[in-house]
Amino acid sequence: MFNVCADPSTLTEFFWVICYLTTAKHFAFYVSFFVVLVLLAIAAPLSLLFGFIATIGTRSSNWFIQIFSKSYINMVRGIPDVVFFLFVPLALDQFFELIRHKIICFDVVEPIWQGTDFVVCKAAKLPLSTADLWVHQLYAFTLALIAFAIVFGAFAGNVLSGAMRSVSKTQTETGAAFGFTQKQIFWRILVPQMWIYAIPGLSNLWMLLIKATPLLFLLGVEDIVYWARELGGSKTSMYAYPHPDWRVYYFAGLLVFYLLMTWASSKVLKRLQIKLSKGQATMAGKELQGY
Amino acid sequence: MDIIENSPILEVRNLKKNYDKLSVLKDISFSAYAGSVISFIGSSGSGKSTLLRCCNLLEIPQAGEIIFKGEAVSWTNKTDSRQLSDKKQIIKFRTNLSMVFQSFNLWSHLSILDNVIEAPVTVLRKDRHIMRDVAYSLLEKVGIADKADAWPAQLSGGQQQRAAIARALAMEPDALLFDEPTSALDPELEQEVVKVIKDLASEGRTMLLVTHDMQLARDLSDRVYFLHQGIVEEEGHPDSLFGKPKSNRLKQFLSAAAS
Ligand SMILES: Nc1ncnc2c1ncn2[C@@H]1O[C@H](COP(=O)(O)OP(=O)(O)OP(=O)(O)O)[C@@H](O)[C@H]1O
Ligand SMILES: [Mg+2]
Repeated sequence: MFNVCADPSTLTEFFWVICYLTTAKHFAFYVSFFVVLVLLAIAAPLSLLFGFIATIGTRSSNWFIQIFSKSYINMVRGIPDVVFFLFVPLALDQFFELIRHKIICFDVVEPIWQGTDFVVCKAAKLPLSTADLWVHQLYAFTLALIAFAIVFGAFAGNVLSGAMRSVSKTQTETGAAFGFTQKQIFWRILVPQMWIYAIPGLSNLWMLLIKATPLLFLLGVEDIVYWARELGGSKTSMYAYPHPDWRVYYFAGLLVFYLLMTWASSKVLKRLQIKLSKGQATMAGKELQGY
Repeated sequence: MDIIENSPILEVRNLKKNYDKLSVLKDISFSAYAGSVISFIGSSGSGKSTLLRCCNLLEIPQAGEIIFKGEAVSWTNKTDSRQLSDKKQIIKFRTNLSMVFQSFNLWSHLSILDNVIEAPVTVLRKDRHIMRDVAYSLLEKVGIADKADAWPAQLSGGQQQRAAIARALAMEPDALLFDEPTSALDPELEQEVVKVIKDLASEGRTMLLVTHDMQLARDLSDRVYFLHQGIVEEEGHPDSLFGKPKSNRLKQFLSAAAS
């Protein structure tokens, strides 16, 4: 990085540490924190959207949409997350490649399934083997992101449909009494009022989402866990910066990162809850008097 | 009070309503003329709320007619379990017959002002800015203009009910349907709501009033209906109904209510 770092073996302890912490690999490590934050920033709203759409789906008058939404919301509850995370990106990957294969390599006669192997033509590979490294990384990240959104979307759907059921019937019925259509009741009463019931569940999900981000590592994305292992492992004198096994320090760093994340989140979420519950103080009391 | 027009605003004929095997309304008929106040009294469970809810089409009676300004509710022609068949008509009925509920039912996510504005803007497509002014003057009329920006939960019961009355008035309905508007209130809060209701009656508004407050029914009504076990056991002018009750049921009811 710096000129002084040219020959690490000659450095004093102070500069050695500076130079060590500014190697290209360490920068990759720092960037991987952003990867985690970006994942959170996209996966959270996306899951909420999936969950919301599924919740609307469960109330659909269309039989197929209703069954589909209900099974989506309930399915993931019975499946261990990790299995799902391994399954979705792989399935999506093969699905995309299969489609590309059918379109691009329609003239190839060999079957795609050769024994238990999944083989598509070279041109159908995703990403192409000639593509840059960052394309491969972005592709892996995107697949992981979709997996997160699907799994957490189902959890969110569960929370949201429960929250919708919690909205007092007298509130929606009063809308009906004033001539609201079903649609107006849904958008003007049910949706604005459900958040107060949804926030505890969604807060919980957000914490789970934060804690699930190391699954990225499992999906081949070079995330913070990957780099902590990579950089922390002991380095022989073959390396520019030889050191013994420092993984424990690196993982301690991750621990602090996750603690900070959850601590900050709980502060923000608590504020949100207070803001939303403004004016709803006697809701429980009203419920008791119910019409 | 004079009856201004001779065709009723709301007419109910031979209404029957049951929940599964429980027969709540057996055969109810009445007419509400423009500018008149009709009260319904009766013991708890006699079907007073159910009757009002049928008028507003929140409940579907198994038989009988509901006629608003000469227009009868149209039903699907299935006789065993009929349904409402005309969505536009449902909205017409509901926007012209505004409900005031026993437990107020203000929308808890909206400020008092927004509670008043909400239905006219959403259902009647009124302009929000114009409605703000209308809502303010209505809140002024019921004496809680200073609470316009408060949340429902921050108001006393009496204030909430007055806000609910303002919300109903904002629809400019042909008739107001009150379902025991004061029975969830402490006696000292009751009077502030009673005063508002009396003012509305003296303005010549058409009102259907379900109440436990015999004094209120007596003071305001042009006609009183005593419901008992799903039928109108006795009806008449308040002076004769309260002064010279004929049926034993009503006598018992009135003496129980007085004690
Ligand atoms: N949705 C419902 N399902 C089943 N039974 C009901 C339902 N609503 C009301 N009932 C029953 O119908 C009867 C009449 O109820 P309603 O609320 O109309 O009485 P009410 O005269 O208004 O009584 P109160 O003075 O206590 O308000 C009661 O026995 C009640 O239990
Ligand atoms: Mg009642």
